[in-house]
Amino acid sequence: MQTFKKEAIEQVLASWAKDAAVYVPVSRAGVKEFGPWSPKVEPDFTGNTRLSPKGLMFPQTETMYSYTVTEGGMGVVLEEIDHKPARRVIVGIRPCDVRSVQVMDEVFLTKGYEDKLYKEKRDNTLLVALGCLSPLPACFCESMGLNPMAAPGADAVMYDLGDSYGIIVQGEAGEALVAALGELVKDGGQVPAGEPCTLKVDAEGLTAKLQKMFEHPLWNKVNRKCLACGTCTYLCPTCHCFDIQGKNKGDEGYKFRCWDSCMYPEYTLMAGGHQPRPSKKERLRQRFLHKLQYMPERYHAWGCVGCGRCLAYCPAQVDITRFMQDVKEVAIDG
Amino acid sequence: MANHELAHAPGVNPLVPVAGKIIKIVQETPDVKTFHVTTENGKPFTPMPGQLGMLSLVPVGEAMFSVTSQGPDHLEFAIKKTGLLTDALHEAVEGQAVAVRGPYGNGFPIEMCKGKDLLFIGGGIGLAPVRSLINYCVQHREDFGHLQIVYGARSPADLCFKEDLFEYWPKVPNCRVDVTVDRGDENWTGPVGFVPAFLEQLNPSPENKIAITCGPPIMIKFVLQSLAKMNYSPEQIITTLEMRMKCGIGKCGRCNLGSCYVCLDGPVFTLAQLNVMPNEY
Amino acid sequence: MNEITLKMREIARDLLERGEVQRVLGWEKGTFPYQSTPFFAETPADADKLIWDEYCLNNLAVYLLDFRYGEEKVALFVKGCDSRGVVRLIQDKQFPRERVYLIGIPCPGLKDAAAAAKLPAGAEVPLADKCRTCTHKNPVLYDVLVGPEEPPAKIEGDLFAGVKELEAMEPEERFEFWQSQYERCIRCYACRNVCPACNCRECIFDQTAKEWLSKEVNGANNQFFGMIRAFHVAGRCIDCGECERVCPMDIPIMKLNRKVIKDINELFGDYEAGTDLEKLPPLGLYSADDPEEFM
Repeated sequence: MQTFKKEAIEQVLASWAKDAAVYVPVSRAGVKEFGPWSPKVEPDFTGNTRLSPKGLMFPQTETMYSYTVTEGGMGVVLEEIDHKPARRVIVGIRPCDVRSVQVMDEVFLTKGYEDKLYKEKRDNTLLVALGCLSPLPACFCESMGLNPMAAPGADAVMYDLGDSYGIIVQGEAGEALVAALGELVKDGGQVPAGEPCTLKVDAEGLTAKLQKMFEHPLWNKVNRKCLACGTCTYLCPTCHCFDIQGKNKGDEGYKFRCWDSCMYPEYTLMAGGHQPRPSKKERLRQRFLHKLQYMPERYHAWGCVGCGRCLAYCPAQVDITRFMQDVKEVAIDG
Repeated sequence: MANHELAHAPGVNPLVPVAGKIIKIVQETPDVKTFHVTTENGKPFTPMPGQLGMLSLVPVGEAMFSVTSQGPDHLEFAIKKTGLLTDALHEAVEGQAVAVRGPYGNGFPIEMCKGKDLLFIGGGIGLAPVRSLINYCVQHREDFGHLQIVYGARSPADLCFKEDLFEYWPKVPNCRVDVTVDRGDENWTGPVGFVPAFLEQLNPSPENKIAITCGPPIMIKFVLQSLAKMNYSPEQIITTLEMRMKCGIGKCGRCNLGSCYVCLDGPVFTLAQLNVMPNEY
Repeated sequence: MNEITLKMREIARDLLERGEVQRVLGWEKGTFPYQSTPFFAETPADADKLIWDEYCLNNLAVYLLDFRYGEEKVALFVKGCDSRGVVRLIQDKQFPRERVYLIGIPCPGLKDAAAAAKLPAGAEVPLADKCRTCTHKNPVLYDVLVGPEEPPAKIEGDLFAGVKELEAMEPEERFEFWQSQYERCIRCYACRNVCPACNCRECIFDQTAKEWLSKEVNGANNQFFGMIRAFHVAGRCIDCGECERVCPMDIPIMKLNRKVIKDINELFGDYEAGTDLEKLPPLGLYSADDPEEFM
């Protein structure tokens, strides 16, 4: 491990900012999210960001290509919009969110198709994580198999050592980052002991049990208080559903993609009116099963990283850990 | 990066279509037209029977359709008028520009069908995806056993691909075509009745057979019941699913059904596969 | 266990045992001490989960919409603000009075759960923002009341102080204010979905194919969303503050709603939505002396 004084954080970020855009947690009107760092920006390393960092790789709205209709409809010119992403360093990303990036990598980069817009940003992004000494009340990453003090998917991990930060490199890209700090860092320090998550739930065997519970009456209960808004899906670091829409101005326009939510009625509504998921019962079931059954089946990884955003910000306090507990308590045959 | 084979050239954005043109439009029924689509470089792609293509009418929008058939230089999409985009497509003229991307999905399991007798059961526009497989079997006639096509539509006017049904397919060796309509008209002399009941009357044996069915959800539901009655096993029955799709490459989540993405792992499934998936289609 | 909780359970159990209603909507304890969460008691045994404490913030009126097409009778615990939401739904013909049994709870004002989440255990928790400007601590409509009535609400300061601050701004300054707020909006529609005044059978923002509002999330589209929603609930907003409470991006939505309330008061005379079943919203009725400056 190497360390640098806390008051040197600006110099550290400035060193990385020489050849990369540096992103840090910042508070805007009381809402914390990742924003670009500059010497004028004060990073806020307390707690976690309300918006997950997924928008850095998968923006809420992103243009894809432009089109122009020519010759009165007889011709069309399509032009890909090049986003040319700069090299980026995300500093202060928490272990749960690092894990979520790994989950997103599975979704966007495997199974025969690479999502170009995601890939070109991901390939240019380094992650400098910050270990969690004291998890927040809604944090339950340990229950999802994570260690709040470790971020195996990051290029480097920082630890709060009181008046200094410790940093451990993980891989070549991380080594280069620390090498760039030169005299700012010195050897020493050790990983401090962190506190465990206070919110715990037993996820063992959950997927196998859910496989038998698609028609279980529990679903009639869990959806009751859900208001079917998109808060959980939009704050979630692994929710990745998107829509593709166009913006037209006369004969010109562009296609963009934007976040979408399986909680919205329009999401599955087909031309002609057929609706495979007619009520919030089916929609909430889809969201929970996608995280806890379908993603483990398809990608061998939980779709939930235990960041706790959904349960902290749900308008009706729908709590995925309570649901998991309820599933545990259900008695089913076979 | 994960170990996997790319279905597209590296660095290409699979969500960006290529520009093309409608070169021919065939009015099949009052609300179904077949669009022949090509690009500057010829056929946009070469799909296997049952695969999908994303067809885009710029600037209205894009939607996923099954590729009904293909020629050496073009793809054919049979499209029913059902919404904003398809309404606009039905207003389109020959020569009009479109954009297209694909192919998507698994297509019909050709290997599994080889050497078997095939029973095709279609209703309405549901014949569109099945037609690509029928034509494939016709072109590779020696690879397959007896072919039987059972097809129905609401009325004689709503029968799709009439030329295939009444001229072309009946002349194919060892192939039989049975057509019914829900309600006849003054010129109709053929059978009248719903497809499932008609199928039970015909009572084709499940011996060495694969049944392939596609049509409106309500027809499929009763056809499956009829097939069960006639002792077809779920492994012998193949259908194609229709779900809302946006990306076509298994990312956007729209067509997620259990651990599957219909655009990628489907749209063709055996009934045995569907039986263990959530019933949300 | 407080007395109101005990009384709540007794009433709910009795209603369910007698089959008077099919379900009773109240609150149960959530995962954290500072969370109380909507709960639907469906059996007499469920009644024992019901609670009343200083965190029963959710306005339950909106849940009546989930049962609007049914036949069943529903009982609902109502604070002052919840009862105003119910009055609005009855006035909008979204729910018939005879299918809802209202159990009123006088409410002294509740605590700020979001603030409590950040405070150490045992610390003094401030009053919830939405309760600072409450004008009806006692339910305005109920079949039975639990507990003694609260003394009439006394609001400290001016209810419209925030609006007046905005009105005093130059147009450019005001535009910048709202632009900076709505740039944050992620269009999760929590504000709409929690709102008892947002009771359209199909919301225009869900008709994405018709594209009244593009799904492209940017400042201009988000402001359009905020503005149209404010106008849609004009005269029907009951000032319950739920939209602002649930906004995950802390947008001061009530400033917008209060501006509309203030304008309506100035144009049509003072009006408090959802306080009187007989008094229709000014924009929901025609009166010969309505102002018509535009004619």
